[in-house]
Amino acid sequence: MKLDLMILLPIFGSARLSFRPSWLDFLETKATSLGMFVVSRLTRIKRPLLLFFALSYVAALPLVTSAQDTPDYFRQNCLSCHTIGGGRLTGPDLKDITERQPDREWLIKFIMNPTAVLASSDPYAKKIFEESRRVPMPMAPQMTRERAEKLLELIETESKLDESQFRGLQISTEPFTEEDRERGSEIFLGVRPLEAGGASCISCHSIHGLAPLGGGQLGPDLTNICERLEGRATLSAWLMAPATETMLPIFKKHPLSSNEIHSLVAYFESTAGQQAASTAGNRVAFLLSGLIGAVAIIFLFDVIWKRRFHAVRRPLVESLPKRGKA
Amino acid sequence: MDVRSQVSMVFHLDKCIGCHTCSVACKNVWTDRKGTGYMWWNNVETKPGTGYPTQWENQDKYQGGWEKNDDGELKIKSTGKAEVVPNIFHNPHMPSMDDYYEPWTYDYQHLFNAPEGADQPTALPISKITGEVIDVKSGPNWDDDLGGSQIYAENDPNLEGLTEQQRMQLSSVERLVLFYLPRICNHCLNPCCVASCPSGALYKRGEDGIVLIDQKRCRAWRSCVAACPYKKTYFNWFWGKSEKCILCFPRLETGQAPACFHSCVGRIRYLGVLLYDAERIEEIAKLPDDELVEGMRSIILDPFDPKVIAEAERNDIPEGVIDAAQRSPVYQFVMKWKIALPPHIEYRTLPMLFYVPPMSPVLASREEDTIHHATDNLFHEIDNARVPMKYLANLLGAGHEGVVRYALAKQMAVRWHRRAETVGDVDREMVDRMLFEADCSVEEAEAIYKLTSLCTFDDRFVIPPMYREQAIEMIKDPHEYRRDAGFGFVGGPRRGL
Repeated sequence: MKLDLMILLPIFGSARLSFRPSWLDFLETKATSLGMFVVSRLTRIKRPLLLFFALSYVAALPLVTSAQDTPDYFRQNCLSCHTIGGGRLTGPDLKDITERQPDREWLIKFIMNPTAVLASSDPYAKKIFEESRRVPMPMAPQMTRERAEKLLELIETESKLDESQFRGLQISTEPFTEEDRERGSEIFLGVRPLEAGGASCISCHSIHGLAPLGGGQLGPDLTNICERLEGRATLSAWLMAPATETMLPIFKKHPLSSNEIHSLVAYFESTAGQQAASTAGNRVAFLLSGLIGAVAIIFLFDVIWKRRFHAVRRPLVESLPKRGKA
Repeated sequence: MDVRSQVSMVFHLDKCIGCHTCSVACKNVWTDRKGTGYMWWNNVETKPGTGYPTQWENQDKYQGGWEKNDDGELKIKSTGKAEVVPNIFHNPHMPSMDDYYEPWTYDYQHLFNAPEGADQPTALPISKITGEVIDVKSGPNWDDDLGGSQIYAENDPNLEGLTEQQRMQLSSVERLVLFYLPRICNHCLNPCCVASCPSGALYKRGEDGIVLIDQKRCRAWRSCVAACPYKKTYFNWFWGKSEKCILCFPRLETGQAPACFHSCVGRIRYLGVLLYDAERIEEIAKLPDDELVEGMRSIILDPFDPKVIAEAERNDIPEGVIDAAQRSPVYQFVMKWKIALPPHIEYRTLPMLFYVPPMSPVLASREEDTIHHATDNLFHEIDNARVPMKYLANLLGAGHEGVVRYALAKQMAVRWHRRAETVGDVDREMVDRMLFEADCSVEEAEAIYKLTSLCTFDDRFVIPPMYREQAIEMIKDPHEYRRDAGFGFVGGPRRGL
């Protein structure tokens, strides 16, 4: 299956340059979920971790081959865990990685198959594994030796710059203002539409303070997302390239702007520690409204089709007085 | 002028004896398959009576046919763009199974297999739908010969507008009367069933005007069942497709009369071509009720008119069809003599089946032991007949008596004329005056007499050449079709899409 896709996708990719029919988007989404499946088979990582971490892996499938290929690949697959000179996120800052680990062959092996290296109880791998809160680095999609080398070259080049393009979004450690939080709340609720036209958070997520059924149930409750992702930096990195199966196809084409990320992080920080909206009561309300709605619809149908039992012959027969009953 | 040809029909009600041979012939040929048990493409009703399905003429209940809306536009009564969606799961204007009847057979095996007992075994009725023993509540001719009059005859929708006295007389023993109304699909000029079909499965054949349901395109909406005011499309619950009278087109195409026509014992049925002006159909269908019959006659064209012939040829109507139109018995009855009338033309579908209104039996009354003729006339007066004029007008004249009176007067005049000719016991002068008053010449009276009483098979059925081989060439080239088709079977209709 995977092989098929690899053959097919470049063909679609070339079509993408001229025009982009909607079925291609659909196919891409399908391909992504398929990739996700393949990853889970190969790496046998536990599902929750996978949801969070395999993201970079499937962040995008390289559809276009060009000079911009490697930076794009890095942006789509690595950036949600790593920065270059932007400090540690989930994974370590990659600035000067070749100096910290001079064994180039080791690095390439690790990039190509982190699972295998980790499994071999290599001491350096163990160390970074512990540093990353025991979250293993997932396999990257369509990784070849050539690509790994190119990535390393890219990291080396970028490390020499004062301000790498992969520095990540720099969120100040200053406290957020009330205005930021207000704007974040508006963005979350969809009162203020996203600049790039993405769907607002409330479509799929709920958060503290919403009425039952107030928010979407597709994604997780985001009340304590700030804690779950351990702080601003990781949260911002996440928002920059949201990479779950569901969010990726939407936000790849409609990314959040840095202002929006700033406001949202402010908002999420303010809700941290409060009770989540998605409680048992919420579920009961959902069930009840479903039941009540079903009953209401049945009655409505009964009214709309009230003539369905009309008969012509039977009333004629019944209108006749029974013989012998004076 | 847009000349088209239509195979149309006349049923002479004065000759119908209500033997149901037509119904049986039709059933044996076409509707003896599973799911068609209750379908009577041809049925014979007793009038007064509610017919089949019960009270089909009551459009307050069934919402069949067209109506004129406030803008003067024609609209299908039963459905419309706005009504399709809310009624997508259930069409509220359908006749129920009870309004038809639950088709049944008998458990004949029981007659042979019953254990020995004190009584003769009986064959119980078995539902053809569920296979269970049922208590038969009604049938397609439940009110035959005024059976269950108190329920059926008295609820005939055509009784509307009759005085209370007239209604009472209809069922009084001395004046008791009934006549028969055989019905098939009218193959209308403005068919409501065709217009209502959301799948476009119904169509009116271009060359002969036969209305058909494409069994492959039918999607079981049943809009046609609701829309047809004559309730002559039926839903096959087994195949999930609607079916209707096909005017035995495979027989017509091979030069034979339709099965019901062919088998008619009373020889009441006539079949022939009419040429009509398709351009004016909409205009005529919008006329007020009292002008409809005349309007209908006005779009039927004279097949001898050179202008009509030229236009017909321009429309690729073959010479053979024009020739058939000139010999058509239907044209004689409908246009020349004007004694055949369209049934319930107020439904505005412009039916192409015409009925010659029946003459009632001579009126008599009984006092003590003597039976009196109500009039001194040998034949009764048409205005004093057992069947009130108003009743026939409701059935055949959109409620207006004029056209019906004209048709009956002419028939009566022909009777008197023939009496004078054959028996000679009536005053010739009086007969001539009667003929004059009935707008009928002696020659015309003779012609009516001949086509009514002495008609041969070929007089009654002037079947036009169908030229199917040419007609099919308009759709596909036979040589190409042969090349593409290869071997294989033509598939039958299947349930579903």
